[in-house]
Amino acid sequence: MVGINIILALSLNLITGFCGQISLGHAAFYGIGAYCTALLAKIGMPLPLTLLAGTILAGGVGLIVGLTSLRVRDDFLAITTMGVGFLFVGIVRQQDLLGGEMGISAIPSSGLGKIGFLLLVLVFVVLVTIWNLFVKKSWMGFAFDAVADDEDTARLLSVDVAAYKLAAFAMGTALAGLAGGLYVYFARFIVPDDFGFIMSISILSMVAVGGIGSVAGVLSATIILTLMPEFFRFVSDYKLLIYGALLFFVMRFAPGGMAGFVRRLFLSARSSSGAGP
Amino acid sequence: MTHRWRAVQTYPETIYSMLWFELLIQGIIHGSMYAIIAVGLSLVYGLLRILHVAHAGLFTLGGYLGLLLTNATGSLILATPVAAAVVGVIGMIIYRVCYHPILDQPPYVALIASIGLFIAMEEIYRLIFGPYGLSYARPPLQFQVQFFGIQLRAAEVGMVVVSTVLLTALSYLSQKTRLGIAWRATVDDPQMAASFGIDAVRVRYLNFFIGSALAAVGGIYVSLLSNLVEPTMGGVPSYKALAIIVLGGLGNLKGTLIAALLLGIVEAFGTIYIGQWLDRDAIAFALLIVILMIRPQGLFAGR
Amino acid sequence: MTALLEIQDVGVQFGGVRALTNVGFSVATGEFLSLIGPNGAGKTTLVRGITGVIRLQQGRIVFAGRDISAWPVHRRIRAGLAMTHQIVRPFHSMTVLDNVALPAGHENIGNVVKALLRLNRSPARKKALELLSLVEIVDVAHQSVRGLPLGVVKRLELARALALEPQLLLLDEPLAGLNSQEAARLADMITGINRQGVTIMMIEHNLGEVLRVSRRLVVLDNGRKIADGDPDTVMADPVVRSAYVGKEKQDAAP
Ligand SMILES: Nc1ncnc2c1ncn2[C@@H]1O[C@H](COP(=O)(O)OP(=O)(O)O)[C@@H](O)[C@H]1O
Ligand SMILES: [Mg+2]
Repeated sequence: MVGINIILALSLNLITGFCGQISLGHAAFYGIGAYCTALLAKIGMPLPLTLLAGTILAGGVGLIVGLTSLRVRDDFLAITTMGVGFLFVGIVRQQDLLGGEMGISAIPSSGLGKIGFLLLVLVFVVLVTIWNLFVKKSWMGFAFDAVADDEDTARLLSVDVAAYKLAAFAMGTALAGLAGGLYVYFARFIVPDDFGFIMSISILSMVAVGGIGSVAGVLSATIILTLMPEFFRFVSDYKLLIYGALLFFVMRFAPGGMAGFVRRLFLSARSSSGAGP
Repeated sequence: MTHRWRAVQTYPETIYSMLWFELLIQGIIHGSMYAIIAVGLSLVYGLLRILHVAHAGLFTLGGYLGLLLTNATGSLILATPVAAAVVGVIGMIIYRVCYHPILDQPPYVALIASIGLFIAMEEIYRLIFGPYGLSYARPPLQFQVQFFGIQLRAAEVGMVVVSTVLLTALSYLSQKTRLGIAWRATVDDPQMAASFGIDAVRVRYLNFFIGSALAAVGGIYVSLLSNLVEPTMGGVPSYKALAIIVLGGLGNLKGTLIAALLLGIVEAFGTIYIGQWLDRDAIAFALLIVILMIRPQGLFAGR
Repeated sequence: MTALLEIQDVGVQFGGVRALTNVGFSVATGEFLSLIGPNGAGKTTLVRGITGVIRLQQGRIVFAGRDISAWPVHRRIRAGLAMTHQIVRPFHSMTVLDNVALPAGHENIGNVVKALLRLNRSPARKKALELLSLVEIVDVAHQSVRGLPLGVVKRLELARALALEPQLLLLDEPLAGLNSQEAARLADMITGINRQGVTIMMIEHNLGEVLRVSRRLVVLDNGRKIADGDPDTVMADPVVRSAYVGKEKQDAAP
């Protein structure tokens, strides 16, 4: 589960962290990947194909939703993507083909065994992490920085903002689809609410708590936020309360997330040691 | 989490016998509820550019306080203003403690802080009041009223009347009182207003007080409609309220009101005509997306 | 000389406000043209119309013989336009160096897929350093943009525009907010750039510097072109004097 969440968080990091496009509906793409994979797995398709199909379908729909980000900006985009999330859940709920409220159960296993599946997830985690770091280092990442900072100015410096946004959406949503596919084989049972607004928010929190755009920050935040509910199991009643409070306090007192916080500590340590004797 | 909410709204037993007129009335009832919630959000957005998700927590708190006070005193008329005032003050505290220090951060910071706060608030209600919700000991305003041949409950009429009266009063006060004029000036141009000696921070407190108090009244009437207050009752209406303020052109009050009514009506008709493909909540967001694609700045451009 | 830029019968409206009405003139290759006029005359609007930041309701922009009126901004920039902002807009999240390195490496970002395959930022950084020394702010290259004085950021804007290697440089009040020494120095720099073959169209209120460096003036007032010609003739034109002086007086008495 931690691995799947890491893929998910890093997938949103491409869109929100690098390219600066807030999405409050990322779980929809996770869901599209999951439903696509689940349906195909049930008709007997092998794992590589189902995962690939889920990834492509999610990325394709993501590309379409990315088109909206060309029309609307900032807060408008945040709410539009939130709308996409609700729309997805709303459609899935009403479709008998997709199992409606009851979801899809009795999904075939990955056929890799527990350890094998774990390794598969791990391999994907490593690949997606490398991909994130690679994008960040490339000129694409440089252009993303510009778009995230000020898209009008980026345009005036010859950046094709629309193309970069679409690229971010396509990559990010495709990877979310992949995470969804993996989740299907992990849980072997999915319901619409697995992919609702709360999930979208959780993904966004992992990115924001980690520090928007920082791969290491997002990685550690995801691990902490995913394991924390387990850790606090003995106070399971307070689990969500702690979660909500954590989100609030991080944003309130360390708006740059963990990465920003560490950077600040580091800077102040350096400047104080520099000032010291 | 949304089941109860939808069950309350759609009245499945009567749904297929509704005439379009009844649908329109239902739309207006829900529209006025959305309006009273969305206006507070719109006020906050207009002034501070924050998507104040925790507003929903105040809406729920309003429901709880209204219900508890009504049960304790037996008087809804007494309970409503008290609950609204308390929630208004809490809204001001939230502004001071939560938003004021992070106003200069990028917008997602306040958004996520607000979402975190909202989750925490819901959990606090659950821990204090229990997960299953509370009901009125003797629910007020449940008698039936005839309106052009349609049976309505008094609470439904109350929702429309209260919302209309409060919002009209708000618009009157903002145009006629000194404080109101100061407030509008600050929304229009904070720098200019400050140069005329208007205290922007005081205006923000006022803003949060009014917005939160309105949300509380909304919460009370919604709880009257369903005779139920539960921790999660704020979620769906507040997400829709977010959609509404975006539709109305962020920060535009008139737009917010029109979008609220429009959404109420479209939902009422949509549930009947396209209900088998999309549930009620999805209809709202489908409308949002369609309109934003045509007019990215909302129905009425903000400032 | 051939016309590098032709502005043909341009009209722009914001809601009910007519910002530009039937404005037309052309700019020859190698020219140093200054666009002047009172505040609100529509100068910024015209430059934004040329780069495509805002859409024209009427008229055409022809650049190097091609009608670019329908092109998106980034395509016009790639064709050889560059613009600096009246109100500076550096990337706050980047260092001064990277602000210039991004446009200096513009050939790396032309294609999204290729951009992903290019990892080496040092040639662009090297070029950026050269440009920063040209505008004499190389000593702050590795600082964040935040907190830098306006004079430095104005020069950063210029370096960033130059990094695009434009044929036509559109400058929106590059000297505003600078003291007279700084302004003269920057104006000289711009003249130097012009000598190297870059055509310049500069919006500027500092008439002293304008008259010193430019070889042609176009005057806008109330969205219309009221004069066009060599500086001395234009400044002697009574229409220009009355437009300018009248407005100046209004501005002086708030
Ligand atoms: N984005 C805009 N929306 C509405 N009106 C604008 C906008 N930009 C400029 N204007 C108006 O257009 C006119 C010309 O403005 P501008 O081009 O900035 O003048 P200048 O640069 O010559 O001072 C002014 O009346 C200004 O108020
Ligand atoms: Mg100007």
